[in-house]
Amino acid sequence: MSELRQIAFYGKGGIGKSTTSQNTLAAMCHYYGKKILIVGCDPKADSTRLILHEKAQSTIMQLASEAGTVEDLELEDVCKPGADEFHPDNTDITEGYIMCTESGGPEPGVGCAGRGVITAINFLEEEGAYDDELDFVSYDVLGDVVCGGFAMPIREGKAQEIYIVMSGEMMAMYAANNISKGILKYANTGGVRLAGLVCNARMTDKEYDLAKNLATQIGTQMIHFVPRSNHVQRAELRRMTVVEFAPNSEQAMEYKELARKIIENDLKVIPAPLEMDDLENLLMEFGLDEEVEEDAIGKKAEDA
Amino acid sequence: MFVCGYHFPASEGNDVSFDKVIEKVNEGIDAAGKTVTLTSETREGVQLETLEVPANTFAHTAFVDYYTNTQIPSKDDSKMVYYTNKYQISEISKSVDGDITKDLCKKLDDMNLYRVTVA
Repeated sequence: MSELRQIAFYGKGGIGKSTTSQNTLAAMCHYYGKKILIVGCDPKADSTRLILHEKAQSTIMQLASEAGTVEDLELEDVCKPGADEFHPDNTDITEGYIMCTESGGPEPGVGCAGRGVITAINFLEEEGAYDDELDFVSYDVLGDVVCGGFAMPIREGKAQEIYIVMSGEMMAMYAANNISKGILKYANTGGVRLAGLVCNARMTDKEYDLAKNLATQIGTQMIHFVPRSNHVQRAELRRMTVVEFAPNSEQAMEYKELARKIIENDLKVIPAPLEMDDLENLLMEFGLDEEVEEDAIGKKAEDA
Repeated sequence: MFVCGYHFPASEGNDVSFDKVIEKVNEGIDAAGKTVTLTSETREGVQLETLEVPANTFAHTAFVDYYTNTQIPSKDDSKMVYYTNKYQISEISKSVDGDITKDLCKKLDDMNLYRVTVA
């Protein structure tokens, strides 16, 4: 049996992080037979819905609140098997399976989401959710806010291998660079490493060049460029991953390739994040077809 | 890291030289005499154009290698090309094939899906 790998998908809100992570993990299970536990660490609790075919799973924090304390919960209350082919008892398509849990978070504007994350992870560990059979534990973490709480899986040495979901847009790159700073901060104490950028493409000009160059400059790799596809939306409307909805589609093949690379990946680095000026220079160099002169800054299109 | 689908060990760093990639792509591939055709289509599946990849170029060998070794279902004898791979093939071809593949690479850098056929 291989050693359990604890990976995490970080990325700014709205980048398609949960969609990317669920489709990739589904591919790891469907095509490669991997046994996976997903720990959703986003207060939206949408990290498992496509695997479970449900609107949103009840979170550990919600259930603990209803039961009184987290000690009053049983593992079966919070950890659910994936639907259909992702269920451990269903081996028609794959020997792999996916178990799902969501940490949940506080009411908006109240408390710290990080506390919920670490409470949930400690509970899962104590209750034996990280069993010997698993190949991967995957954390899905909201990471655009520079908040220590969201760094909990890194700070506590839980997630060892980080994949940042980003795109060629400025704010996604800014968030990716910030997450790298968070990884750098805890790399020496907790052993966390950056394993790659996943470009969830917005299909903007020179997006591959931008993502690849950002990755190279911060010391990692752009492990895969995932194109935009209507199949993803069609599958999501059915609360399914593309891998399950259309396993032979081009989009499913893209996730299959990303899954293969993650399984085989050994490039795990301490990142070297960029300064803000360097990030802007990168955008200027690769992100725009035309150069912008210094005197054009702040001018309207009709004045330029 | 991964370039053109190949895994290069972490000891080689995050910026593998084109020479090493070319060496890997050429291993066990005899592209001589083969015709490599690409078709492009939009996200909606509208076919746009058909292109022939110039022989005796890195791009030519790389697409033969992709077609031969990539585990992906074929459709009407063609295989979809992963976006990552088409961008990487274009990047290397621009550097080593020069003007011969200049126009082809410009097209490969777009956002369309490509399918490759080798005959």
